[in-house]
Amino acid sequence: MKTSSKMTRDQRKMRTAFVMLLPALIFLALLIAFPLGKVVHDAFSHVHLINKSMSGFAGIENFETFIEDEHFAQAVRNTFLWTIFSVAGEYLMGMVTAVLLNQKFKGRAIFRTCIFIPWLVPIIVAGMTWDWMLNPEFGIVNYLLKNMGLINESINFLGDSKYALATVIFVNIWRSFPYYTISFLSAMQSIPGDLAEAASIDGAGMFRRFFSVTLPQLRSVSLVILFIHVIWTAVNFDFIWVMTEGGPNYATETLPVMIYRYSMRKFDVGAASALSTMMFTVMVILFIFYYRKRSQLSEDMA
Amino acid sequence: MLNKRNRSIAQVVTYVLLTVFSLYCIFPFVWMVISALKPKTEIRTATPSFMIAEPTLANFKRVLFDVGFLNYIKNSLLVSVVACVLSMIVAILAGYALSRYFKMKLVKVSNLAMMLSQMIPGVLLLVPLYLIMQRLHVLESYMSLILAYTTFVIPLCTFMMSSFFDTVPLALEEAAEIDGCSKTQTILQIILPLSIPSLVSTGLYAFINAWNEFMFGYIFISTDQYRTLTPAIMLFKGANTIDWGGLMAGSVIAVIPVTLIFLFLQRYFLAGLMSGSVKG
Repeated sequence: MKTSSKMTRDQRKMRTAFVMLLPALIFLALLIAFPLGKVVHDAFSHVHLINKSMSGFAGIENFETFIEDEHFAQAVRNTFLWTIFSVAGEYLMGMVTAVLLNQKFKGRAIFRTCIFIPWLVPIIVAGMTWDWMLNPEFGIVNYLLKNMGLINESINFLGDSKYALATVIFVNIWRSFPYYTISFLSAMQSIPGDLAEAASIDGAGMFRRFFSVTLPQLRSVSLVILFIHVIWTAVNFDFIWVMTEGGPNYATETLPVMIYRYSMRKFDVGAASALSTMMFTVMVILFIFYYRKRSQLSEDMA
Repeated sequence: MLNKRNRSIAQVVTYVLLTVFSLYCIFPFVWMVISALKPKTEIRTATPSFMIAEPTLANFKRVLFDVGFLNYIKNSLLVSVVACVLSMIVAILAGYALSRYFKMKLVKVSNLAMMLSQMIPGVLLLVPLYLIMQRLHVLESYMSLILAYTTFVIPLCTFMMSSFFDTVPLALEEAAEIDGCSKTQTILQIILPLSIPSLVSTGLYAFINAWNEFMFGYIFISTDQYRTLTPAIMLFKGANTIDWGGLMAGSVIAVIPVTLIFLFLQRYFLAGLMSGSVKG
């Protein structure tokens, strides 16, 4: 107590802030910042989980290893397709459901709850349940499609490389779009009601009102959501792993799955780290674009 | 007149579309429950039906007692509860600092650090995290999962708490201070009782996140004794002939807690989630 009474008020405040932030900073430093540094370091070193004799500076050899991998080009392509189609689908579905839910009618809360539930369940459960429903022998989806006369033969959605990626994207959209719905909905509810009313008096129809009043008001929330989800989707590992493990025949292998394969199957930590470093670099570039756009948007608003 | 008719058409369209969307969202769960209650003969058939001829709890019994899901549930609960409590303590402290001392340089830097950490995905840090856990001798134990889960929810939980603290008037604290309360007393006796709704939503987020996580549980734990629910489901699928009935029963078990919690507390949960993510 003696020391604290000698300190000035500002010093005391400073000390309080430091003590309060300390636990969070310890966690972030030990389990995010340090591993991050290690990944970048290992990207330029020879590191092998089993063969400890491999060590030392590697230059860009690790980068060459994965670029020369025969499946690298396909993994890049899959990552792009997976990210773009997932995010576009989620955005569209989220927007439509949010517009529908942003009206006054009976039973709104029930619909909202139903629509939000997929986002809550573990990815593994979402993946397994759809895997079961899409099963070519016993699955309900194939059965219903055949009954309706849409297909003649069962489709092996996850086992056929023609359909596998599209199927995983479809399931990902199913599980992820509710988050967009809720975000858009809460943003729409903060749009002043008289704005839409004025437009309506001026004779703007439903679509016109949406495109010239609602959508512009959602610019900033859209930017945040799209940015976060592009990153989260591009680096997602769980979904693809639980549904297809990157197969069949690498048809659904994205870069995160490739990182897993290099580190946990081939034990080549160097190459895995190099691949991670490359993804970080892309993320940082995206972040810079995003940050600029965001400050520009908030200037426009002001 | 026309306007009125248009409005009722719009309402019908709204109901129809929302029913379609809700069915799309809910159907997999309905099918999951139906499958979990079916005997094997009704599962492995090319003509699946919505009606269950002979409903049975055999799938649940098998999964819980023979496969050991009871133990996995216990592990998942333990890890999730501890990770939830730990991340809330850290987030309350950091959130308070972020809200009250935002002008300090240290706080500004920490804020940016959290924003950046929020973006960094676990899978890219997988190998070094594995090695750190090995070095700390916590692989194959609850501690490895608790540490990982806590770390990755700290940023969002902190933002959720700090945006709530922003709404608590400073005058309240100053009054308490004049009355002779210490900082600790002020926080414990004045601020926290006011924050119960956001404590609930922050805690829920941390709990659900830990309960649902798959990758770390799959990689850090390979002994059956400490395995959590989500990797257990994955491994269950890996068997030679897939026991779909059991798998669906396991899925029902994994989904029940999060769904129940959400149904009862969704108002708190959604509001808190939005305030945190808009800020971050």
